Amino acid sequence: MSVVVKNSIVTFCGLAAATIFAFIFSHFAPDNVSNISLIYILTLIIIVRYTDGYWPGLISSIIAVICVNFLFTYPYFELNFTLAGYPVTFLGMLGVTLFTSTMTTNMKQQARVIAEKDKLLSETEKEKMRANLLRAVSHDLRTPLTGIIGASSSYLESKDILSEQEKDAIVTHIQEDANWLLNMVENLLSVTRISNQSSKVKKTDESVEEIVSAAILRLKKRLPEAAVTVSVPDDLLIIPMDAILIEQVLINLLENAVIHSKSTQPILCYVEDGPQFVTFHVKDFGVGINPERLKNIFDGNSYIGNSESDSNKGMGIGLSICKTIITAHNGTIDVKNHSQGAEFYFTLPKEEVSYESET
Amino acid sequence: MNPKHEILLIEDERNICNFIMTTLKSNDYKVNYALNASTGLSLAASVCPDLILLDLGLPDMDGIDVIKNIRNWSNVPIIVISARTQEREKVEALDAGADDYITKPFGTSELMARIRTALRRYTVNNNAPLSSQSKYVAKELMIDYEKHVITICGTIVHFTQIEYKILTYLSKNAGKVITYDALISHVWGPFADSNNRILRVNMANIRRKLESNPADPQYIFTEIGIGYRMIDNENLP
Repeated sequence: MSVVVKNSIVTFCGLAAATIFAFIFSHFAPDNVSNISLIYILTLIIIVRYTDGYWPGLISSIIAVICVNFLFTYPYFELNFTLAGYPVTFLGMLGVTLFTSTMTTNMKQQARVIAEKDKLLSETEKEKMRANLLRAVSHDLRTPLTGIIGASSSYLESKDILSEQEKDAIVTHIQEDANWLLNMVENLLSVTRISNQSSKVKKTDESVEEIVSAAILRLKKRLPEAAVTVSVPDDLLIIPMDAILIEQVLINLLENAVIHSKSTQPILCYVEDGPQFVTFHVKDFGVGINPERLKNIFDGNSYIGNSESDSNKGMGIGLSICKTIITAHNGTIDVKNHSQGAEFYFTLPKEEVSYESET
Repeated sequence: MNPKHEILLIEDERNICNFIMTTLKSNDYKVNYALNASTGLSLAASVCPDLILLDLGLPDMDGIDVIKNIRNWSNVPIIVISARTQEREKVEALDAGADDYITKPFGTSELMARIRTALRRYTVNNNAPLSSQSKYVAKELMIDYEKHVITICGTIVHFTQIEYKILTYLSKNAGKVITYDALISHVWGPFADSNNRILRVNMANIRRKLESNPADPQYIFTEIGIGYRMIDNENLP
């Protein structure tokens, strides 16, 4: 309904404006029918551009032709199609308007189709990502659970024959696996904070140094032996983000660095201020990352078919969650090998980027 | 020899309940427990515990209401047990009068440390009200409330009025999480804008004067989404 109303209003206003303009024009330069026709043609193109469907263009082109004939050609205020040469003007005008109206309508339709296709594509992409994640998760959850169940039942069944040392080893093993599970669950929980519909997060202004220090603190609680050298810019940086999620990203990256770098040299964690982005770096001085894995390390399933998969368990999911989080913040995350190890870095935009005007 | 402290545990998960009770008993505390809020409340009234451990997700009553109910007649320390993802709930609990919170899952050492801190603060406050404490000491930091002087490694550091107010409030509640809102209304008054950007800026300035590395603080810790916590006062009896 509103479309019809809008179309009618646009058509009416356009034609009225053109007619008034044409009247003024014909007052100063009488008998200049071709110029008046041009005015109408221009108006018609504009009308077609700002209305939807074929009908407004078609109707207004007929009205325009009648107006030109009725108001601006001799005999005035009478319809007369027998003027010498006039049929050509008339047909030309009708043809031009019909042609443009068809073309613009087609173009609009095509644009709509493309937009719909894009939306569909991004949804399948999201669906695929979710399926991948789920697959990776169930695989990764089973491993520690098997460990826990096995260790606890072997403890219960044979506690009489086990030495104190062996008992301790079993319980320690259970604890390790449980901690690992917890880590994973926290990661998964954090993903649920990202709204499914829009893949957007709830952002508040947070100060960067507080997030970094909180992440370091939690890392030290979890891995007391971890050595991290951390620095932030002297100026206070306040950027919009979901603090819990960014903390999670930092913890994942730091923990990966501690566990997988196989090095005791302190990890470097520092923040760089840029004109539009703030960049967080986590740099280790260890074995680096296999170049083959670099490309799809954030995909969540990069460990599949990997010979050293066991030593890297869980790395995939943690990183794909990092990627999801950073993407939802309109930032970027990447990794590279430097001469002495690996470096992960991610950026966050300083100001809220708004995509409201689109969609 | 000190008499045993009595702790009341209100928690509906039997497994967690068992584990906490074992830990508490082996650390020489006397423990009562309740599996729901109504039993918990009547126990709290009848045994008058020295500390209450309260799980927020109880079946019969909202944890926040339990805190408010207890606060009506007692200021016994309450430590809230909650899951990690519910910052809002934690903030509500703290603002309702809980003394501290501990996040599930937690290690026994962490739980014991929180309990000790809460108990000590409570005894100190009971014996000598907050205002009469004259000094805060932690590591290299010393705050002398009477002389309005703050020193680090013996050197006097200058703070603005607002910064000093924030520091004294945090240090007098050392060990306890202070929510953003509580801090703002204490420093800027109850009608201050709840936008905490100005607080962030002041905290950043304090950090730069106080900490040798603002990204790895020694004295004031951020609890993301909740507030700040200052390390324990070493100057307590």
